[in-house]
Amino acid sequence: MISALIVDDEPYARAELAELLRELGGVTVLAEAGNALEAMALLQQHRPEVVFLDIQMPKISGLELLSMLDPKQIPRVVFVTAHDEYAIQAFEDNAFDYLLKPVSKPRLQKTLDRLKQTLPPQDLGPVTPPLTTIPGYQQQRIRLVPLAEVEYIYSDLGGVHLVTREGEYHTQLTLKVLEQRTALLRVHRQYLVKADAIREITLRDNHSAELETQLGHTLPVSRRYLKTLKSRLGLQLP
Amino acid sequence: MSLIFSLMQQMSVFLVIAYLLSKTPLFKPMVNYSIRLPHKMVIYLVFSGFCIMGSYFGLGVQDAIANTRAVGAVLGGLLGGPVTGLLVGLTGGLHRYSMGGFTDLACAISTTLEGLLGGLVHYRLVKRGEMARLFSPWVAFATTLAAETLQMATILLVAKPFGQALALVQVIAAPMLINNATGAALFISMIRDQKTMYEKFSSSFSARALNIAQRTVGIMAKGLNSESAQQICRILHEETGVAAVAVTDRERLLAFTGLGHEHHRPGAAISSPLTLKAIRDHEVKFADGYQVPYACSLAEDCQLGSVLVIPIRGETCILGTIKLYEPKKRLFLKINRTLGEGIASLLAHQLLTGRLEQQQQLLTQSELKLAHAQVNPHFLFNALNTIGAITRREPDKARELLLHLSNFFRKNLKRSGEQTTLAEELEHVVAYLAIEQARFNDRLEVSFDIPEPLLGLRLPTFTLQPIIENAIKHGVSTLLEQGQIRVTAGIEAGVVKLRVTDNAGTYQARADGDGLGLSLVDKRVKCLYGTHFGVDIRVEPERWTQVTVSLPQQEART
Repeated sequence: MISALIVDDEPYARAELAELLRELGGVTVLAEAGNALEAMALLQQHRPEVVFLDIQMPKISGLELLSMLDPKQIPRVVFVTAHDEYAIQAFEDNAFDYLLKPVSKPRLQKTLDRLKQTLPPQDLGPVTPPLTTIPGYQQQRIRLVPLAEVEYIYSDLGGVHLVTREGEYHTQLTLKVLEQRTALLRVHRQYLVKADAIREITLRDNHSAELETQLGHTLPVSRRYLKTLKSRLGLQLP
Repeated sequence: MSLIFSLMQQMSVFLVIAYLLSKTPLFKPMVNYSIRLPHKMVIYLVFSGFCIMGSYFGLGVQDAIANTRAVGAVLGGLLGGPVTGLLVGLTGGLHRYSMGGFTDLACAISTTLEGLLGGLVHYRLVKRGEMARLFSPWVAFATTLAAETLQMATILLVAKPFGQALALVQVIAAPMLINNATGAALFISMIRDQKTMYEKFSSSFSARALNIAQRTVGIMAKGLNSESAQQICRILHEETGVAAVAVTDRERLLAFTGLGHEHHRPGAAISSPLTLKAIRDHEVKFADGYQVPYACSLAEDCQLGSVLVIPIRGETCILGTIKLYEPKKRLFLKINRTLGEGIASLLAHQLLTGRLEQQQQLLTQSELKLAHAQVNPHFLFNALNTIGAITRREPDKARELLLHLSNFFRKNLKRSGEQTTLAEELEHVVAYLAIEQARFNDRLEVSFDIPEPLLGLRLPTFTLQPIIENAIKHGVSTLLEQGQIRVTAGIEAGVVKLRVTDNAGTYQARADGDGLGLSLVDKRVKCLYGTHFGVDIRVEPERWTQVTVSLPQQEART
C-alpha cells in the first residue's frame, strides 16, 4: 500500500481523485488538504509516501509550497493541473509525472504502476520558484510575510519565529529551509539574520560575539559562525 | 533716325500697356501653354487689340504707316498657334485695310501672313516638344525679324506703283525690322519673367505646404495633447515664419511658441474671446488689428497685433484651435492664412485617422480576447473535472451544471454582436457563476441586487462577465476564507452604475492580465459613450475591491 496526501482547493476535485484511487486500489489516502498551509501541516503530521499536488491554489501555489519544505521531507510528487502551459512544459522537460484534470482512470493507473517501482529521487529544483514570502501566524491571523520585511528569524521550543518591524510571526518553515532558500545569514544555531539589518557587532572574549539589529534587538553570534559572518560582511576584525 | 525713335516711343507705350496687362488675370493664359478654347480666345482678343493699336499709333510716312502692328500678329501666332495667329493677323490686316493708303492691301496680306508665320513657329516648336522656347525672347526676335522682312517683300510685290513702294521700304524697313523685333523680344521676356515669378511663388508655397505636411505626419495619431501640440507649434513657427503660434484644445492653451511666450503659458484656460468664438461658431476667425481690433487678453504690453484662429474640426465637434500671430508692426500675409487653414484641416484628418486606427486596433484586440475567452482552458477543464466528480454523487446536479456550462459557451459564441441587455449579460454571468460556485463550493458566495427597470439597459457585450471573472480569479479564489461577491446596479446623478465588490482586496493594476482585462472593458465603454463613462476601480488592500462601470442612462426600450 502506498500512503498518499491529496492537495487541491476544490472539494469535488479532491473527492474525485480519492474515489478514483480507492477504485484502483493499492493506495491509502491518509488525508486531504484544501490549501498549501493545511498541506504543510498534514505532510509533517502524516509523512505520506506520495503527494498529489494541485498547482493553482489560493495564496500559495503548489509549486510555492515545494519551496517552503525541507527537500528531505518532500515525498514523491505527482502534479495535478487543469491547465497550466508553463508548468506542464516544465514537467515535460524534467520528466515529472503529472495528471491532467479531468483525470482518466487508465492514466492514473499508469502513474500508480510507476509509483510501485523503485524510482530515482526527484530533483524538484527546476520547477521550484524562489521563496519570496513566508506564511506567518500571529494569533489567529495568517499572513504571507514578504521576505524583505523580515529582520531575523529564530527558533526556540515553541517553533520558528519571524521578526519584523510589525512584530513576530510563527512559521511552520524550518530554519534549515529558510537558510537554504533565502539570503539570510546563519549567525547561531538558533538565529538567521538579514545582512542589511545588522547595525553593530560586539566581540566577546571567548571568540563569540553579539550583534545589534536595526530594530535594536541583540542576537548572539556563536564562534562557529563568526568567521563566515565576518567574511560575508567583508570585515577584517582582529 | 527720327523714325526709329518714334517707333521706339510707340513700343514703349505698348510695353507699358503690356506691363499693366500682366497684372491682370488676362495675362494668365499667356504664361502657360494651353490648348483650351477660352485661353485661345483671350490670346486672340489681346493680340488683335495690340495689332489695332499698333496701326493707330503708327506714323504716317509717304502715304503709308510705319507701325508696330507686327508685334501683335507675330506674338499672337507664337503664343496661340497657327489658327489663332492667322485670325489675329487677319483681324489686324482687315483693320489696316480699312484705314486706306496705297499699301493697304499689301499690309493686310502681310499682317495675316505674319500671324500665320508666328503660328507656324508655335506649331513647329510644340511638335518638337520645345514648349519652353515659345517664351524665348530670341525666338520672338527672329520670328518678328522674318515676319517684317516678309512684310517688306509683300509691300514691294503688291503695292503699286512699285517705285513709291520701293522708296517707302527703303525708309521704313530698317527701323521697323529692328524696332519690332526688339519689341517682340522684350514683350516675350516680360511674359517669361511673369511666368517664372508665378512658378517660383507657387513652387515655394507648395514646398512649404508639403514640408509642413511631411513634418506633421503621425504627430496627431495619438490625439491632441500638450506633447503633440508642442510639436505642431514648433513646426508651424519654423515653416510659416509668423511671429508666434499657439495650439489649444477646447478649454486650454496646450502649447505656445514665439513672441510673447512669457505670458502665454501652456495649461492656462483659454481667455481670448476670439478663440472661444471660433470654437463656438466652427469658423475661422481673423483679427487684423485694424478693421477687426485685436488685443492680447493676457498682457497689456503684449507685442502681438493680429491673430488668425483656425478651428480643428473633429467628427462631431471642434477639437481645438491653431492660432497664428503677427506683431503690431507686421502685416499678416495672406499666404500664411491659406497655409494655416490647410494645415488645420490636415491635422484634423490626421486626428480622425488616428482615432479610427485606434478603434480598429481595439476591435481586433477585443476580438482576440473574446476568442480567447470563448475557450478559457483553465475554466473549461476545471469545470469538466468538477462535473465529472459530481456525476458520481449527484447526477441531477451534474446535469444542471452541464446545462449551465453549455449555456455559458453558447452565449460566448452568440455574442459577437456589439450590444446586449443587462438581463442577457446577467444570464451569462449566472451561468458562469453556477460553475464556479460548484467548483469552490462554500468558499464562494455571490449576491445580486439589480432593480427590475434596469434589466433592459443596453451595454456592450462582455461588460460584466470579465469583471466577475476577475473578481473570482484574482480576488476571492486567492482567499483561504470564504469569498463574497456582490453585484449591484443603480442610478446615481443620471449615470447608471454597475458595481462588483469582492472581499479580497487583492486587485493590482496588471500590465496585461489574462482573460478580458478590465482596461479593455473600460476602453470599449469609453469608445462607445465617451470619456465620462467607463470603469473605475477602488481597492482597500486585504479588505475589498470595488469595480464600478458607469454607463449612460437610456430611454426605456421594449
